[in-house]
Amino acid sequence: MGSNTMRREILRPTTHRPSTLLRAPRARAEGRGTEAQRQRIKKILCVSVSLCVGMIMLDKPAFAQVELGGTYAIRMYEDYIERGPGSFLGDFTGMPMSDEGRAKALRYSSSLPSTIERQCLAQSPWVGMYRPLALRFWSEVDESGRVVAWVMGGDYLRDTVRIWMDGRPHPSANAWHSPSGFTTGHWEGDTLVARTTHVKTAWIRRGVGIPGSDQSTFTAFITRRENLLTIMTVQEDPIYLTEPHVVSRVWEFDPRGSQGPLRDTCNVGVEIPSLEDTGEVPHYLPGQNPEEDYMVRTYNIPKEAAMGFAHTLYPEYRKTLRSTYKPPESCGRYCCGWIERQGLPGAAPGLTCNDGNLPAELRKAITAPAR
Amino acid sequence: MKSTLLLAILLMTASVGAQGRAAQAPAAARADAPIDLTGQWVAIISEDWRWRMITPPKGDIVSIPLNLQGQQAADAWDPAKDEAAGEQCKAYGAPGLMRGPIRMRISWQDDSTLKVETDYGTQTRLLRFAAASSPGSRSLQGFTSAQWIVRGGGRGATRYGSLKTITNNLRPGYLRKNGVPYSERAQFTEHWDVHSLPNGDKYLVNTNVVDDPVYLQAPFQTAIHYKLERDTSKWDPTPCDARF
Repeated sequence: MGSNTMRREILRPTTHRPSTLLRAPRARAEGRGTEAQRQRIKKILCVSVSLCVGMIMLDKPAFAQVELGGTYAIRMYEDYIERGPGSFLGDFTGMPMSDEGRAKALRYSSSLPSTIERQCLAQSPWVGMYRPLALRFWSEVDESGRVVAWVMGGDYLRDTVRIWMDGRPHPSANAWHSPSGFTTGHWEGDTLVARTTHVKTAWIRRGVGIPGSDQSTFTAFITRRENLLTIMTVQEDPIYLTEPHVVSRVWEFDPRGSQGPLRDTCNVGVEIPSLEDTGEVPHYLPGQNPEEDYMVRTYNIPKEAAMGFAHTLYPEYRKTLRSTYKPPESCGRYCCGWIERQGLPGAAPGLTCNDGNLPAELRKAITAPAR
Repeated sequence: MKSTLLLAILLMTASVGAQGRAAQAPAAARADAPIDLTGQWVAIISEDWRWRMITPPKGDIVSIPLNLQGQQAADAWDPAKDEAAGEQCKAYGAPGLMRGPIRMRISWQDDSTLKVETDYGTQTRLLRFAAASSPGSRSLQGFTSAQWIVRGGGRGATRYGSLKTITNNLRPGYLRKNGVPYSERAQFTEHWDVHSLPNGDKYLVNTNVVDDPVYLQAPFQTAIHYKLERDTSKWDPTPCDARF
């Protein structure tokens, strides 16, 4: 019996013509039931039960997706300097920048983010890949409990990232670009794949002026496996990048982190009074950035590597480096994993490596043998 | 008709059972692969460029959670001594190798063994799905056991998954070219995922954890990404080098 036939059997109004199913008991009671009728009843019952079970199962996803909800502690074992104290000026290593991007980054001055208009510029969707704080995920559900969106909060300072899971389309290309952009997502196995458009112009890395345009799009792959959360982002920007900028990071689930405050509001204020109401925009004119050669003179690396040319990101560039690179005699600055914190709460116990910033008295105190 | 009901229930049960399972029968590993890891992959050095593309100066241990003993070992790094001892490959053991500036070719050596070859240091790792009676003596690449983590695939749904590998039985080596150490007691756990973009680009993400009770005060957790190369002409085998 086809499903349509069966549905007609079930739904047929009994007032007009009692169904075989409903007529059967009376037939049996009257001793007029036949073997064919009994088989028909069994058949309807079996198919009905199967369909009911099937419909219940089909109402759910094919498998349970990973629960993302919770807080994840930062693990800064990659790009520590960019995420911790902030990049060195003139350090664009590992970036596939266009000439326009490089020119704009070299105009960057450390005072620029202090202008009121730009204090929140550094904060954009996925900037958490370059921030030093935790992430938090939570879901938003509809009345039936279905997840409508996953929300990512944390150190964004301007907004959370809402990943719509209900299949809605991205807005028109001419729609407003918001601080959090517009993001949709879907599951591929244990990975939540998110796509973000409609972002604002921002800085990609902290404190160094590498720009990302408002035409940037991001594809993010978010995978939770046991306690580890991996996020890989692929940023494409036709203005300031020559190829996709790919970053992958790890966080660790923190079961006690859910009460921590979220820093999802960017508050602006006067940071440099002398700049207030002057209309001045701190910058360097082309060719006048004194830190343009910082990486060359400090780490002996070729200028093209420091200036973020895409070909320097691939192993074959080592052929160029082999003939030109001479390691510095020693590590002079930011050599530990816990710079600025040595001997302070949160410091790695016993580490005495050279951070370049530690006051002599403090260094002496923490390097003294324990009593 | 009972058989119809039974069949329906059995099919649904089998479908649910196929979800989230791990550890396939070893002989079926190749046929059962939920993802295709084979091909030539290139590391994109967009992170930690100064520590991965070149050898940083001695004592630069930034971002690695060494304990005091680990720091002392890093401070004692002497590449000349390694060369004299024939140990110029110490930075090419699995935990250090994967973060290096590598191209790797992944292929099936047999139905239950994935082979990972790198041009950087001309190393070979074997990811074994079949149980081995003995892991053998300690080696630079150690002994790696592998299992698929399978998701989905029921009722005609798309099949997803990843590879989990655990490497131990390692000889001591370096996490970083400048002598940041791991000990022979280190365990290297990796999760291998393949992600695709709509334009067809494929990325391999290796999320990994180095546990070392000797030199680390906390697990060293990183994610490393590689891109699939259709053009394999840039494969460039180079020997181990203790200095560059």
